[in-house]
Amino acid sequence: MDIDPTKILVRYNVQKEKAQSPEQMATEMFPKAEPARSVAKAIFEGEEDDVIEALEKAIENGANPIALIDDVLMPGMKIVTDLYDQGVIFLPNVMMAADAMLEGIEYCKETAGTSPKPKGTVVCHVAEGDVHDIGKTIVAALLRAAGFTVVDLGRDVPVDEVIAAVKKESPMMLTGTALMTTTMYAFKEINDRLLEAGIKIPFQCGGGAVNQDFVASYELGIYGEEAADAPKMASAILAGKGLAQLKDQFHKH
Amino acid sequence: MVKRYTSMAYKNADDMIFGTAVHPVKAELGLEVGAGYVTAEVNYAPRPEAGVSKEKLISEYRKLTTDILARAVQIGFPAVSLETEHVEQMTNNPTWGGEIAHVQKTILEEYHEEYGIKCGLRHTPGDIREDRDLLALIGGKYDKLMESFEAVADGGADFLSIETMGGKEILDYSILRNDVPGMIYAIGCLGGIDMEMIWTDIKKIADKKGRIAAGDTDCAQANTAMFIAGGLLDKNLAHTLAILARVLAGSRTLVGYEAGAQGPGKDCGYENTIIKAITGCPIAQEGKTATCAHADVMGNLTMQVCDLWSNESVEYHGEFGGTSVQCWSQTLNMDAALMNTAIQTGNAKVLRDMMCLSDKYRDPQGYILAYDNAFKVGQAIVKDGNDLYLRAKNAVVETIKILEASKKEGKLLMSRFEQNALADAKAAVEALTNESDSFMSDSLAKYKAEEPRFKPEANYKF
Repeated sequence: MDIDPTKILVRYNVQKEKAQSPEQMATEMFPKAEPARSVAKAIFEGEEDDVIEALEKAIENGANPIALIDDVLMPGMKIVTDLYDQGVIFLPNVMMAADAMLEGIEYCKETAGTSPKPKGTVVCHVAEGDVHDIGKTIVAALLRAAGFTVVDLGRDVPVDEVIAAVKKESPMMLTGTALMTTTMYAFKEINDRLLEAGIKIPFQCGGGAVNQDFVASYELGIYGEEAADAPKMASAILAGKGLAQLKDQFHKH
Repeated sequence: MVKRYTSMAYKNADDMIFGTAVHPVKAELGLEVGAGYVTAEVNYAPRPEAGVSKEKLISEYRKLTTDILARAVQIGFPAVSLETEHVEQMTNNPTWGGEIAHVQKTILEEYHEEYGIKCGLRHTPGDIREDRDLLALIGGKYDKLMESFEAVADGGADFLSIETMGGKEILDYSILRNDVPGMIYAIGCLGGIDMEMIWTDIKKIADKKGRIAAGDTDCAQANTAMFIAGGLLDKNLAHTLAILARVLAGSRTLVGYEAGAQGPGKDCGYENTIIKAITGCPIAQEGKTATCAHADVMGNLTMQVCDLWSNESVEYHGEFGGTSVQCWSQTLNMDAALMNTAIQTGNAKVLRDMMCLSDKYRDPQGYILAYDNAFKVGQAIVKDGNDLYLRAKNAVVETIKILEASKKEGKLLMSRFEQNALADAKAAVEALTNESDSFMSDSLAKYKAEEPRFKPEANYKF
């Protein structure tokens, strides 16, 4: 027995594939000038050593290390995240590029002996009782790749610890991930404790068993369906969007 | 020492069929699995608020178990099996899990006695072997886990299962970096080492209590890869890499059977077609009936050689057609009735092939897990069955070979992304040594340096 599968299913990913390869598209997006071009290429390829080498050369030629972060490293990473958002490259490419970019940032900070003004801080955690943290790892990496400072509390984080971290760090946003229906209940408690303390920050919640209906049931909750929503949400907050507008944008169902 | 599989239980892929296994198993209340018919295995999760106390949890499981059995006799189903996947409180407090198993088994006994319905009960303690930041596979939590198995066995669970996490710290690191040698090390080697330890002990408990050591699933790793890979348009992981994680799981999950497990294998082990081909043990599977829990690209194909047919997990709540467990158990049972009709009318292989073909070309994962190709992967595993590294590597090599050969046939279309990921994987695997010792020592050094959460001495006795 055999079939003609074209009558049964459609491989939309093959059908919709861009004519250009990711490498060709990236090359067209790389800046023309140096050192931005070499750094962007090295970030796209996830080559830490090449990133550092290009930065070294630029600093030897008189570039300001802190200016290189904003002018060279971040725009280089943005090419990668833009290509990911367009569905051109895969997450592992973003992760490897982010590793390379973060190493470059550390190198610039060490060389300058100072740090640039942070774009904003996000506290990330996995719900108490839940040890499934790969989703949180992806969220944290994508936020860092977009230039946000991430305070990663890890997994199985007690509610008290989340509240203490928010009070200490004054983040622009809190994220919580959970795989299990029983552990996501902690999100509600965090919401209530934050409100009791008079803290009204967006609390992005997502992961395995978490759904929009549940997250929408508490005031600060914004449902993040995909990890890639995290940097978009942080950017929307930077652009001045409040809780109601965030819910409007990210509650798609 | 466990006895490794170095040959296949089935001579030909075509000999495999749903409802029948070479080595069927029998539960206490008349249910036989793999003995010529397919049975529904209903899975469920308590509502979030039920987790606050033991009493609330017990009440929740009493209600949902009664609901399932009531619906089964209302619609006239001859058999049903239940699976209780523990929420962490039930494993961390072994008496909770034990009491819940007892409550559930008592309800099954009542229905069995009154209606003659054949019943089975699987309990799946959670793998609690973790500290806040690190895996803690050996030590106090291991002992607690074994207590949990003892308690659920005492409570009446027929089938003992678990979803173990050995190797996950390296898989989580390597899968996000397209690192295929890391996946081989994580799933095939570290996972296999942990499986041998834990399943040897689960088997001892099962034998002592007169229960069945059923089987594991590589949910923590291969399903992580499958979920990250997602749908056709998702860009988080190439589906060609997700299927490599899956075939590695075939080598890893096999270790449970080498340590004495007898099936039915766990439902979310999509590697189970490979397992059945090698061991001849019955398997549970899930597919279109698991859309309540997750979306994947194999809905019918996974029914092809199943013995229990499951819905993965559904939260207990109300639906228009009854409670969620009643709705899903009815759907599962109706699927089972169709398969059993095919068996009785001599059309089982026709239905098997129709189910398989409806998904086979949807995606590289379905293509490899189609029973004919899964059988070939099984053969590659047993070729070097005595060596955890070589057999895992063989599974990857064979999978790449099958996917490359598919291009000639032209029915499985792969995107450039998928093909590039496959080509990169091939290059990485071709560069690997054939010496287990050097692979193990090189990997140990590499991941100790790169992944701070990797604690090989504490977790794998290196």
